Amino acid sequence: MTRLTRREFLRTSAAGAGFGFLAAGCAPAIKGDFAPKAGRRVVVVGGGWGGATAAKYVRLADPSIEVVLLEPNKQFVSCPFSNLVLSGVRSIDGLTFGYGGLRNHGVRIYHESASAIEPDTGRVRVGDGYLQYDRLIVSPGVEFQWEQVDGLAAAQDRVLHAWKAGPQTVELARQLAAIPDGGVFVLTVPPVAYRCPPGPYERACQVAFYLKTHKPKSKLIVLDANQNVVSKAALFRAAWKDYPNLEYRASNKVVKVDPSVREVTTDLGDRVKYDVVNLIPPQRAGTIAAQADLVGADKRWCEVNHLTYESVKHKNVHVVGDSTIGLPVPKSGNIANAMGKICAVAVVHLLNGKEPPAMAPGNTCYSWVNDREAIAVVNAYKIEGGKVVQIEQKLTPGQSAQWAQNADGWARSIWQDILG
Amino acid sequence: MRTILGLILGPLGLSVLMSGPAGAGPLDAPGASKALACSACHGLGGQSPSNTMPIIAGIAPWYFKKAIEDYAAGRRPSPEMEPYAKYVREAGIDDLAAYFASQSRQPTAVKVDAGAVERGRVASQQCVVCHVESGKGDPAKGIPDLRGQPPGYLANQMLLFKADQRSPGDPTLKALKELMKSVPDDQIADLAAYYSSLR
Ligand SMILES: Cc1cc2nc3c(=O)[nH]c(=O)nc-3n(C[C@H](O)[C@H](O)[C@H](O)COP(=O)(O)OP(=O)(O)OC[C@H]3O[C@@H](n4cnc5c(N)ncnc54)[C@H](O)[C@@H]3O)c2cc1C
Ligand code: HEC
Ligand code: HEC
Repeated sequence: MTRLTRREFLRTSAAGAGFGFLAAGCAPAIKGDFAPKAGRRVVVVGGGWGGATAAKYVRLADPSIEVVLLEPNKQFVSCPFSNLVLSGVRSIDGLTFGYGGLRNHGVRIYHESASAIEPDTGRVRVGDGYLQYDRLIVSPGVEFQWEQVDGLAAAQDRVLHAWKAGPQTVELARQLAAIPDGGVFVLTVPPVAYRCPPGPYERACQVAFYLKTHKPKSKLIVLDANQNVVSKAALFRAAWKDYPNLEYRASNKVVKVDPSVREVTTDLGDRVKYDVVNLIPPQRAGTIAAQADLVGADKRWCEVNHLTYESVKHKNVHVVGDSTIGLPVPKSGNIANAMGKICAVAVVHLLNGKEPPAMAPGNTCYSWVNDREAIAVVNAYKIEGGKVVQIEQKLTPGQSAQWAQNADGWARSIWQDILG
Repeated sequence: MRTILGLILGPLGLSVLMSGPAGAGPLDAPGASKALACSACHGLGGQSPSNTMPIIAGIAPWYFKKAIEDYAAGRRPSPEMEPYAKYVREAGIDDLAAYFASQSRQPTAVKVDAGAVERGRVASQQCVVCHVESGKGDPAKGIPDLRGQPPGYLANQMLLFKADQRSPGDPTLKALKELMKSVPDDQIADLAAYYSSLR
């Protein structure tokens, strides 16, 4: 099997191989049906955890089906483990991968954004052009609700979320490293439902660990919109005993940010000064899902069939990953990967006129609490009456280096499962 | 820059999933689609690329079933495998056992030190009475195949036996645990390297 490295990816894209001709900037204008469909075709929107997995597994399950993937980014940057970039324990390069493995499976990739979906005609719009599909799989991740925090929309360049791994992760790490000893780092947690329930608390651990090690007079204030730590609460609170520099305030929803005076305001009217702020905004399904009328009455998330991930609103359009709602599962990369596989198998069965098998996802979320120890939550599910039902949730008995090593094993396996 | 995917993808063949009876789709075998939940940790077809997750490609069905029942009952404590073992029972343990048994096992890509392998070979004289010279084990006596497993996984399991944390109090494993208690930790690492190197 072909090895997939970032270097290899950069080489092929520099040579203009693959479908790079459509790359933004130097691309010929996309017009009309820019890739006429010959046989049966699945189009996938979004090459993240859910979409890249789905694209690969449709090809694995039935190589006679053409798969076209739309993804604006030329590289995949893993959100899992990206909190470790803040503390300097990992590098962003180690979390950055090319899409060469998917091309080796015969996935056609266009580094473009879908601009609209037309379920009636079975078309995905890309600027002035379009693609025809038999079935569509949408995995656009989350979009931020900037308007929910006063002053945030105008301050997007200075007030970072770092909730989509990439340049913001690197920039936030730089801001953290530049904080004066004695400075205050404010981290805000959005109300549920948001991407990666334990993610903000893992981040709190990594920031507190960094400050404790490098800026012992500094402190971290966590302003949580929720009433308690949303995931693995007892394990995180136990881990925080090692961080006297961490101050956790529950039920403190941030409603305003003012970078000119370096201050956030909570719904209780408290003003909190910061040297560095990391404001994780409230979230909803990726914009394309809302535009395509896949979201429900809440205008935030997409309801789907639990066996096929077909949208309850539009036929032949499937949604996986963080954009979905209604299953008793967290918005995690592990779940997005599981949904991608199950959806791919279901789509292939449907295109072949067969009944899709009933398959349940599984989930494991590891969280690093310092530079060498982790905790985890594991969920197993089954299908009952056509719905996903939890069998069991299990936590690690505490934090240890063993779970951190297992986390590393998980990451290696799952990155390969998505992109290899 | 480290090219992690280059490392983790290693030399494994995707053919594991692609092979199947002519005409049938590669994911059509009973068990193949149910096993997709396992690849997040154990790798495609059970061919784990990491040092900690065991390879379950090619695992003998009797040992697969024993391991699953031990995890589900909490005898082998594992926060990961206890829920997944219950998933396996729900999904159909026979289908999954048959699927993983049908996958060809590649030895781990994790490298071991030649000196450790040699020391481990010498120390393995304590183990051959059960695990036999080849390391292949003996199904009739309930002894699993250790060959080619990641060294990190093998060492962990030996440490769990030593501390009586794997199947605590199980009378059938008494001799094994007595022996492990007498093996120093650095020798455990050597033994892990040796069994990992066997083909
Ligand atoms: C700091 C952090 C830590 C995390 N840690 C973990 C962890 O340890 N374990 C875990 O399981 N999960 C973790 N997660 C969660 C995980 O990253 C997400 O759940 C996962 O990425 C969701 O997959 P997805 O496919 O829904 O979205 P994404 O992976 O975000 O993929 C969406 C893709 O769609 C593309 N896209 C969007 N709109 C369009 C469009 N119109 N056209 C084409 N493409 C489009 C985007 O560019 C993006 O690449 C973490 C998240 C964060 C932020
Ligand atoms: C979240 C990661 C994870 C997932 C997902 C997972 N496992 Fe495991 N598995 C592990 C770990 C870790 C161990 C070793 C645990 C221990 O210490 O005994 C293990 C051990 C095993 C073993 C014992 C191997 C041996 O040689 O003794 C079997 C069998 C197994 N898993 C089967 C499965 C099956 C089948 C699935 C899918 C239904 C699965 N696992 C999913 C992490 C996972
Ligand atoms: C008295 C017989 C006996 C001896 C001696 C013995 N073992 Fe084992 N070993 C077993 C049995 C039985 C099992 C399976 C345990 C179970 O079913 O949970 C096992 C399991 C293992 C495992 C776990 C394999 C897996 O896939 O989970 C390792 C590793 C191992 N033995 C290593 C060794 C080493 C190294 C030695 C020598 C120092 C040794 N054993 C000596 C009987 C023995």
